[in-house]
Amino acid sequence: MEFGPQVLENIALAGDAAHIPDKIFAKLVTCACQGVLNEDQRNIVEENPAFKDTNKAVLKAAFSGLVTLIIEAAKHDSSDQNISSLLEECKYTADKINEFSKIFLPQKPHIQLLLGKIGFSFPHIVDVDWRLDYYIKNNNVEKVNSGVYLISLKTEIPGEHELKDFQFSCTVEQLQDLVGKLRDATKCMERIAQV
Amino acid sequence: MLLVYEDSHKEHLSFLTDLETEVLKEFGRISLNFIRKGINPKIFQGAAQKLGVPVETVQHGVEGLMYLLIEGSRFLLNEVDFQDSLMTLGFSEETRSTLLELYLEHRREVRQILDDMSLDLPHYHNLEWRFDVQLASRSLRHQVAPLVLLKLQTKDDEAKKTTLLQTDPVNLVHVTHVLEEALQEMKSGYFRRIARNIK
Repeated sequence: MEFGPQVLENIALAGDAAHIPDKIFAKLVTCACQGVLNEDQRNIVEENPAFKDTNKAVLKAAFSGLVTLIIEAAKHDSSDQNISSLLEECKYTADKINEFSKIFLPQKPHIQLLLGKIGFSFPHIVDVDWRLDYYIKNNNVEKVNSGVYLISLKTEIPGEHELKDFQFSCTVEQLQDLVGKLRDATKCMERIAQV
Repeated sequence: MLLVYEDSHKEHLSFLTDLETEVLKEFGRISLNFIRKGINPKIFQGAAQKLGVPVETVQHGVEGLMYLLIEGSRFLLNEVDFQDSLMTLGFSEETRSTLLELYLEHRREVRQILDDMSLDLPHYHNLEWRFDVQLASRSLRHQVAPLVLLKLQTKDDEAKKTTLLQTDPVNLVHVTHVLEEALQEMKSGYFRRIARNIK
Protein backbone atom coordinates (compact mmCIF):
# COMPACT_ATOMS: atom_id res chain seq x y z
CA MET A 1 0.00 0.00 0.00
CA GLU A 2 1.70 3.18 -1.16
CA PHE A 3 0.25 6.67 -1.36
CA GLY A 4 1.32 9.90 -2.96
CA PRO A 5 2.02 12.95 -0.75
CA GLN A 6 -1.35 14.55 -1.61
CA VAL A 7 -3.29 11.51 -0.48
CA LEU A 8 -1.25 11.20 2.74
CA GLU A 9 -1.95 14.84 3.44
CA ASN A 10 -5.69 14.25 3.01
CA ILE A 11 -5.61 11.23 5.30
CA ALA A 12 -3.74 13.28 7.90
CA LEU A 13 -6.32 16.03 7.53
CA ALA A 14 -9.12 13.61 8.43
CA GLY A 15 -7.29 12.70 11.64
CA ASP A 16 -6.49 16.28 12.60
CA ALA A 17 -8.83 17.31 15.43
CA ALA A 18 -8.35 20.97 14.51
CA HIS A 19 -10.16 20.36 11.22
CA ILE A 20 -12.30 17.30 11.82
CA PRO A 21 -13.53 17.33 15.41
CA ASP A 22 -13.16 14.04 17.29
CA LYS A 23 -16.89 13.59 17.64
CA ILE A 24 -17.54 13.52 13.90
CA PHE A 25 -14.46 11.46 12.92
CA ALA A 26 -16.24 8.13 13.45
CA LYS A 27 -19.20 9.40 11.46
CA LEU A 28 -16.90 10.40 8.59
CA VAL A 29 -15.24 6.95 8.47
CA THR A 30 -18.65 5.25 8.49
CA CYS A 31 -19.81 7.51 5.66
CA ALA A 32 -16.66 6.75 3.67
CA CYS A 33 -17.30 3.01 3.97
CA GLN A 34 -20.94 3.44 2.97
CA GLY A 35 -20.00 5.69 0.10
CA VAL A 36 -17.73 2.98 -1.27
CA LEU A 37 -20.26 0.20 -0.74
CA ASN A 38 -23.44 1.82 -2.02
CA GLU A 39 -23.57 3.45 -5.36
CA ASP A 40 -26.43 5.76 -4.38
CA GLN A 41 -24.50 7.08 -1.37
CA ARG A 42 -21.40 8.30 -3.18
CA ASN A 43 -22.29 11.84 -2.16
CA ILE A 44 -23.29 10.96 1.36
CA VAL A 45 -21.32 13.75 3.10
CA GLU A 46 -22.55 16.62 0.99
CA GLU A 47 -25.98 17.20 2.51
CA ASN A 48 -25.32 15.39 5.79
CA PRO A 49 -26.36 17.59 8.79
CA ALA A 50 -23.59 16.03 10.95
CA PHE A 51 -21.01 17.93 8.90
CA LYS A 52 -22.80 21.24 8.55
CA ASP A 53 -20.24 23.08 10.71
CA THR A 54 -17.24 21.69 8.84
CA ASN A 55 -15.48 23.65 6.14
CA LYS A 56 -16.59 22.15 2.80
CA ALA A 57 -13.14 22.10 1.19
CA VAL A 58 -11.60 20.40 4.24
CA LEU A 59 -14.44 17.91 4.39
CA LYS A 60 -14.01 17.04 0.73
CA ALA A 61 -10.26 16.53 1.08
CA ALA A 62 -10.58 14.46 4.26
CA PHE A 63 -13.34 12.32 2.76
CA SER A 64 -11.34 11.63 -0.38
CA GLY A 65 -8.32 10.66 1.73
CA LEU A 66 -10.34 8.17 3.77
CA VAL A 67 -12.04 6.69 0.69
CA THR A 68 -8.66 6.17 -0.99
CA LEU A 69 -7.28 4.54 2.15
CA ILE A 70 -10.30 2.25 2.50
CA ILE A 71 -10.20 1.09 -1.12
CA GLU A 72 -6.44 0.55 -1.18
CA ALA A 73 -6.46 -1.28 2.15
CA ALA A 74 -9.22 -3.58 0.89
CA LYS A 75 -7.50 -4.07 -2.46
CA HIS A 76 -4.23 -5.20 -0.82
CA ASP A 77 -6.01 -6.94 2.05
CA SER A 78 -3.83 -4.92 4.46
CA SER A 79 -3.54 -6.17 8.02
CA ASP A 80 -4.64 -4.20 11.04
CA GLN A 81 -0.96 -3.64 11.81
CA ASN A 82 -0.16 -2.19 8.39
CA ILE A 83 -3.07 0.20 8.61
CA SER A 84 -2.06 1.26 12.13
CA SER A 85 1.49 2.06 11.17
CA LEU A 86 0.33 4.09 8.21
CA LEU A 87 -2.11 6.05 10.35
CA GLU A 88 0.60 6.62 12.95
CA GLU A 89 2.71 8.20 10.24
CA CYS A 90 -0.23 10.50 9.56
CA LYS A 91 -0.15 11.49 13.23
CA TYR A 92 -3.35 9.75 14.30
CA THR A 93 -3.90 9.20 17.99
CA ALA A 94 -4.19 5.60 19.25
CA ASP A 95 -7.89 6.16 19.93
CA LYS A 96 -8.56 7.27 16.37
CA ILE A 97 -6.59 4.40 14.93
CA ASN A 98 -8.70 1.99 16.99
CA GLU A 99 -11.86 3.71 15.92
CA PHE A 100 -10.92 3.51 12.24
CA SER A 101 -10.13 -0.20 12.50
CA LYS A 102 -13.30 -0.92 14.43
CA ILE A 103 -15.44 0.59 11.65
CA PHE A 104 -13.41 -0.43 8.62
CA LEU A 105 -12.40 -4.05 9.37
CA PRO A 106 -15.95 -5.48 9.53
CA GLN A 107 -16.69 -3.79 6.18
CA LYS A 108 -13.49 -4.97 4.51
CA PRO A 109 -14.84 -8.32 3.19
CA HIS A 110 -17.85 -6.55 1.65
CA ILE A 111 -15.66 -3.99 -0.07
CA GLN A 112 -13.40 -6.77 -1.35
CA LEU A 113 -16.42 -8.54 -2.77
CA LEU A 114 -17.27 -5.41 -4.73
CA LEU A 115 -13.69 -4.96 -5.90
CA GLY A 116 -13.61 -8.60 -7.01
CA LYS A 117 -16.54 -7.93 -9.28
CA ILE A 118 -14.68 -5.26 -11.19
CA GLY A 119 -12.93 -6.67 -14.20
CA PHE A 120 -13.66 -8.63 -17.29
CA SER A 121 -14.41 -12.23 -17.99
CA PHE A 122 -15.81 -14.49 -20.64
CA PRO A 123 -19.54 -15.05 -20.51
CA HIS A 124 -20.04 -16.93 -17.26
CA ILE A 125 -22.37 -19.93 -17.33
CA VAL A 126 -24.84 -19.86 -14.45
CA ASP A 127 -27.55 -22.23 -15.63
CA VAL A 128 -28.70 -24.39 -18.49
CA ASP A 129 -32.06 -25.17 -20.04
CA TRP A 130 -32.70 -28.13 -22.26
CA ARG A 131 -35.47 -29.53 -24.34
CA LEU A 132 -35.82 -32.89 -26.02
CA ASP A 133 -37.46 -33.07 -29.44
CA TYR A 134 -38.26 -35.94 -31.73
CA TYR A 135 -37.22 -34.91 -35.22
CA ILE A 136 -39.75 -36.51 -37.57
CA LYS A 137 -39.24 -35.11 -41.06
CA ASN A 138 -38.44 -32.02 -43.09
CA ASN A 139 -39.21 -30.72 -46.56
CA ASN A 140 -36.45 -32.83 -48.11
CA VAL A 141 -36.35 -35.99 -46.07
CA GLU A 142 -39.06 -38.15 -44.51
CA LYS A 143 -38.60 -40.56 -41.62
CA VAL A 144 -35.68 -38.77 -40.02
CA ASN A 145 -36.96 -40.07 -36.68
CA SER A 146 -34.29 -39.25 -34.17
CA GLY A 147 -34.08 -37.54 -30.81
CA VAL A 148 -32.59 -34.06 -30.80
CA TYR A 149 -31.69 -31.94 -27.80
CA LEU A 150 -31.81 -28.17 -27.81
CA ILE A 151 -29.48 -26.73 -25.21
CA SER A 152 -29.53 -23.15 -23.96
CA LEU A 153 -26.67 -22.04 -21.74
CA LYS A 154 -27.53 -19.04 -19.58
CA THR A 155 -24.55 -16.77 -19.26
CA GLU A 156 -23.75 -13.66 -17.26
CA ILE A 157 -21.74 -11.04 -19.09
CA PRO A 158 -19.89 -8.44 -17.03
CA GLY A 159 -21.57 -5.04 -17.28
CA GLU A 160 -24.86 -6.42 -18.58
CA HIS A 161 -27.90 -6.82 -16.42
CA GLU A 162 -29.69 -9.55 -18.31
CA LEU A 163 -28.62 -13.13 -18.75
CA LYS A 164 -27.68 -14.03 -22.29
CA ASP A 165 -28.57 -17.32 -23.94
CA PHE A 166 -26.18 -19.41 -25.94
CA GLN A 167 -28.15 -21.96 -27.91
CA PHE A 168 -27.24 -24.99 -29.92
CA SER A 169 -28.60 -28.41 -30.75
CA CYS A 170 -27.16 -31.84 -30.03
CA THR A 171 -27.81 -35.37 -31.12
CA VAL A 172 -27.74 -37.96 -28.32
CA GLU A 173 -24.17 -38.90 -29.17
CA GLN A 174 -23.09 -35.27 -29.15
CA LEU A 175 -24.73 -34.65 -25.80
CA GLN A 176 -23.07 -37.76 -24.40
CA ASP A 177 -19.74 -36.37 -25.59
CA LEU A 178 -20.46 -32.98 -24.02
CA VAL A 179 -21.59 -34.44 -20.70
CA GLY A 180 -18.61 -36.79 -20.64
CA LYS A 181 -16.22 -33.88 -20.99
CA LEU A 182 -18.01 -31.80 -18.37
CA ARG A 183 -17.87 -34.77 -16.03
CA ASP A 184 -14.12 -35.04 -16.61
CA ALA A 185 -13.73 -31.38 -15.75
CA THR A 186 -15.82 -31.82 -12.59
CA LYS A 187 -13.75 -34.80 -11.47
CA CYS A 188 -10.49 -32.99 -12.12
CA MET A 189 -11.71 -30.08 -10.06
CA GLU A 190 -12.82 -32.31 -7.19
CA ARG A 191 -9.43 -34.01 -7.11
CA ILE A 192 -7.66 -30.66 -6.91
CA ALA A 193 -10.04 -29.49 -4.19
CA GLN A 194 -9.10 -32.47 -2.03
CA VAL A 195 -5.36 -31.79 -2.14
CA MET B 1 -46.44 -46.79 -49.67
CA LEU B 2 -46.10 -46.22 -53.41
CA LEU B 3 -44.81 -43.25 -55.38
CA VAL B 4 -47.42 -41.19 -57.17
CA TYR B 5 -46.62 -39.89 -60.64
CA GLU B 6 -48.10 -37.09 -62.65
CA ASP B 7 -48.96 -37.80 -66.27
CA SER B 8 -46.12 -35.69 -67.61
CA HIS B 9 -43.73 -37.53 -65.37
CA LYS B 10 -44.93 -40.90 -66.64
CA GLU B 11 -44.46 -39.69 -70.16
CA HIS B 12 -40.91 -38.55 -69.44
CA LEU B 13 -40.02 -41.87 -67.91
CA SER B 14 -41.53 -43.86 -70.76
CA PHE B 15 -38.45 -43.01 -72.79
CA LEU B 16 -36.43 -45.24 -70.48
CA THR B 17 -38.56 -48.30 -71.30
CA ASP B 18 -36.92 -48.91 -74.65
CA LEU B 19 -33.33 -48.40 -73.61
CA GLU B 20 -30.77 -51.17 -73.50
CA THR B 21 -29.50 -52.10 -70.05
CA GLU B 22 -26.07 -50.59 -70.65
CA VAL B 23 -27.55 -47.27 -71.80
CA LEU B 24 -29.97 -47.26 -68.88
CA LYS B 25 -27.08 -47.76 -66.48
CA GLU B 26 -25.30 -44.83 -68.10
CA PHE B 27 -28.45 -42.74 -67.57
CA GLY B 28 -28.47 -43.85 -63.94
CA ARG B 29 -24.86 -42.78 -63.54
CA ILE B 30 -25.59 -39.38 -65.09
CA SER B 31 -28.65 -38.86 -62.87
CA LEU B 32 -26.68 -39.62 -59.74
CA ASN B 33 -23.94 -37.25 -60.77
CA PHE B 34 -26.50 -34.52 -61.33
CA ILE B 35 -27.99 -35.16 -57.89
CA ARG B 36 -24.52 -34.81 -56.41
CA LYS B 37 -23.23 -31.86 -58.38
CA GLY B 38 -26.16 -30.18 -60.13
CA ILE B 39 -27.31 -30.46 -63.73
CA ASN B 40 -24.85 -30.03 -66.59
CA PRO B 41 -26.85 -29.42 -69.83
CA LYS B 42 -23.91 -30.23 -72.09
CA ILE B 43 -24.22 -33.89 -71.26
CA PHE B 44 -27.80 -33.95 -72.59
CA GLN B 45 -26.61 -32.84 -75.99
CA GLY B 46 -23.87 -35.43 -76.22
CA ALA B 47 -26.21 -38.23 -75.22
CA ALA B 48 -28.96 -37.05 -77.58
CA GLN B 49 -26.57 -37.05 -80.52
CA LYS B 50 -25.34 -40.54 -79.72
CA LEU B 51 -28.85 -41.96 -79.38
CA GLY B 52 -30.30 -39.94 -82.23
CA VAL B 53 -33.19 -38.51 -80.22
CA PRO B 54 -34.18 -34.91 -79.36
CA VAL B 55 -32.22 -33.25 -76.53
CA GLU B 56 -35.46 -32.69 -74.67
CA THR B 57 -36.29 -36.36 -74.54
CA VAL B 58 -32.92 -37.14 -72.97
CA GLN B 59 -33.31 -34.29 -70.53
CA HIS B 60 -36.76 -35.46 -69.47
CA GLY B 61 -35.56 -39.02 -69.12
CA VAL B 62 -32.69 -38.02 -66.83
CA GLU B 63 -34.84 -35.66 -64.82
CA GLY B 64 -37.50 -38.32 -64.43
CA LEU B 65 -34.92 -40.75 -63.19
CA MET B 66 -33.55 -38.20 -60.74
CA TYR B 67 -37.06 -37.64 -59.43
CA LEU B 68 -37.52 -41.37 -59.01
CA LEU B 69 -34.31 -41.74 -57.02
CA ILE B 70 -34.90 -38.65 -54.90
CA GLU B 71 -38.49 -39.48 -54.03
CA GLY B 72 -37.66 -43.09 -53.26
CA SER B 73 -34.84 -41.98 -50.94
CA ARG B 74 -36.91 -39.24 -49.41
CA PHE B 75 -39.60 -41.68 -48.28
CA LEU B 76 -37.02 -44.37 -47.60
CA LEU B 77 -39.03 -46.84 -49.67
CA ASN B 78 -38.18 -50.46 -49.09
CA GLU B 79 -37.33 -52.89 -51.87
CA VAL B 80 -40.88 -54.11 -52.37
CA ASP B 81 -42.47 -50.66 -52.39
CA PHE B 82 -39.91 -49.29 -54.81
CA GLN B 83 -40.40 -52.21 -57.16
CA ASP B 84 -44.18 -51.87 -56.96
CA SER B 85 -43.86 -48.17 -57.71
CA LEU B 86 -41.99 -49.09 -60.90
CA MET B 87 -44.65 -51.60 -61.92
CA THR B 88 -47.17 -48.91 -62.74
CA LEU B 89 -44.76 -47.42 -65.30
CA GLY B 90 -44.82 -50.44 -67.57
CA PHE B 91 -41.10 -51.18 -67.44
CA SER B 92 -39.75 -54.57 -68.42
CA GLU B 93 -38.52 -56.95 -65.74
CA GLU B 94 -34.93 -56.21 -66.68
CA THR B 95 -35.34 -52.44 -66.57
CA ARG B 96 -37.03 -52.73 -63.18
CA SER B 97 -34.24 -54.80 -61.68
CA THR B 98 -31.59 -52.43 -63.08
CA LEU B 99 -33.35 -49.43 -61.53
CA LEU B 100 -33.93 -51.26 -58.25
CA GLU B 101 -30.25 -52.11 -58.04
CA LEU B 102 -29.34 -48.50 -58.74
CA TYR B 103 -31.77 -47.30 -56.08
CA LEU B 104 -30.69 -49.72 -53.38
CA GLU B 105 -27.03 -49.05 -53.98
CA HIS B 106 -27.31 -45.28 -53.78
CA ARG B 107 -30.29 -44.75 -51.48
CA ARG B 108 -28.13 -43.94 -48.48
CA GLU B 109 -26.01 -41.46 -50.41
CA VAL B 110 -28.98 -39.63 -51.94
CA ARG B 111 -30.59 -39.43 -48.52
CA GLN B 112 -27.42 -37.97 -47.11
CA ILE B 113 -27.40 -35.32 -49.85
CA LEU B 114 -31.04 -34.44 -49.09
CA ASP B 115 -30.21 -34.33 -45.41
CA ASP B 116 -27.32 -31.94 -46.02
CA MET B 117 -29.70 -29.60 -47.84
CA SER B 118 -32.20 -29.61 -45.00
CA LEU B 119 -32.74 -26.96 -42.40
CA ASP B 120 -29.99 -27.28 -39.84
CA LEU B 121 -29.57 -25.73 -36.41
CA PRO B 122 -26.19 -24.72 -35.05
CA HIS B 123 -25.10 -27.91 -33.36
CA TYR B 124 -22.47 -29.04 -30.91
CA HIS B 125 -19.15 -29.98 -32.42
CA ASN B 126 -16.51 -30.08 -29.71
CA LEU B 127 -15.68 -28.88 -26.22
CA GLU B 128 -12.31 -28.21 -24.66
CA TRP B 129 -11.85 -27.13 -21.08
CA ARG B 130 -9.14 -25.99 -18.74
CA PHE B 131 -9.02 -25.28 -15.05
CA ASP B 132 -7.66 -21.95 -13.81
CA VAL B 133 -7.50 -20.15 -10.49
CA GLN B 134 -7.74 -16.40 -10.63
CA LEU B 135 -5.20 -14.98 -8.17
CA ALA B 136 -5.31 -11.22 -8.56
CA SER B 137 -6.75 -8.43 -10.66
CA ARG B 138 -6.10 -4.75 -11.04
CA SER B 139 -8.74 -3.92 -8.45
CA LEU B 140 -8.23 -6.77 -5.98
CA ARG B 141 -5.10 -8.70 -4.98
CA HIS B 142 -4.99 -11.97 -3.07
CA GLN B 143 -7.95 -13.72 -4.66
CA VAL B 144 -8.58 -17.42 -4.97
CA ALA B 145 -11.31 -17.83 -7.56
CA PRO B 146 -11.37 -21.22 -9.28
CA LEU B 147 -12.60 -20.98 -12.85
CA VAL B 148 -13.24 -23.46 -15.59
CA LEU B 149 -12.69 -22.06 -19.07
CA LEU B 150 -14.68 -23.74 -21.80
CA LYS B 151 -14.04 -23.53 -25.50
CA LEU B 152 -17.21 -24.63 -27.19
CA GLN B 153 -17.23 -25.31 -30.91
CA THR B 154 -20.53 -25.35 -32.75
CA LYS B 155 -21.21 -26.03 -36.39
CA ASP B 156 -23.86 -24.39 -38.52
CA ASP B 157 -23.98 -26.18 -41.85
CA GLU B 158 -20.26 -26.30 -42.55
CA ALA B 159 -19.30 -23.13 -40.71
CA LYS B 160 -17.54 -23.76 -37.41
CA LYS B 161 -17.93 -21.24 -34.62
CA THR B 162 -15.84 -21.09 -31.48
CA THR B 163 -17.22 -19.58 -28.29
CA LEU B 164 -15.24 -18.99 -25.13
CA LEU B 165 -17.20 -19.39 -21.93
CA GLN B 166 -16.33 -19.82 -18.29
CA THR B 167 -17.97 -21.10 -15.17
CA ASP B 168 -17.22 -21.71 -11.50
CA PRO B 169 -17.08 -25.12 -9.80
CA VAL B 170 -20.57 -24.91 -8.29
CA ASN B 171 -22.19 -24.05 -11.60
CA LEU B 172 -20.12 -26.64 -13.43
CA VAL B 173 -21.43 -29.36 -11.14
CA HIS B 174 -24.95 -27.98 -11.55
CA VAL B 175 -24.81 -27.81 -15.35
CA THR B 176 -23.29 -31.29 -15.59
CA HIS B 177 -26.02 -32.65 -13.36
CA VAL B 178 -28.84 -31.00 -15.33
CA LEU B 179 -27.48 -32.30 -18.64
CA GLU B 180 -27.08 -35.80 -17.20
CA GLU B 181 -30.76 -35.69 -16.34
CA ALA B 182 -31.50 -34.59 -19.90
CA LEU B 183 -29.66 -37.65 -21.21
CA GLN B 184 -31.63 -39.91 -18.89
CA GLU B 185 -34.85 -38.61 -20.41
CA MET B 186 -33.92 -40.24 -23.71
CA LYS B 187 -34.01 -43.61 -21.97
CA SER B 188 -37.38 -43.00 -20.37
CA GLY B 189 -40.38 -45.16 -21.18
CA TYR B 190 -42.25 -42.12 -22.43
CA PHE B 191 -39.65 -41.21 -25.03
CA ARG B 192 -39.35 -44.80 -26.21
CA ARG B 193 -43.09 -45.22 -26.47
CA ILE B 194 -43.38 -42.10 -28.66
CA ALA B 195 -40.41 -43.15 -30.79
CA ARG B 196 -41.95 -46.59 -31.31
CA ASN B 197 -45.30 -45.18 -32.35
CA ILE B 198 -44.10 -42.60 -34.86
CA LYS B 199 -43.49 -44.42 -38.06
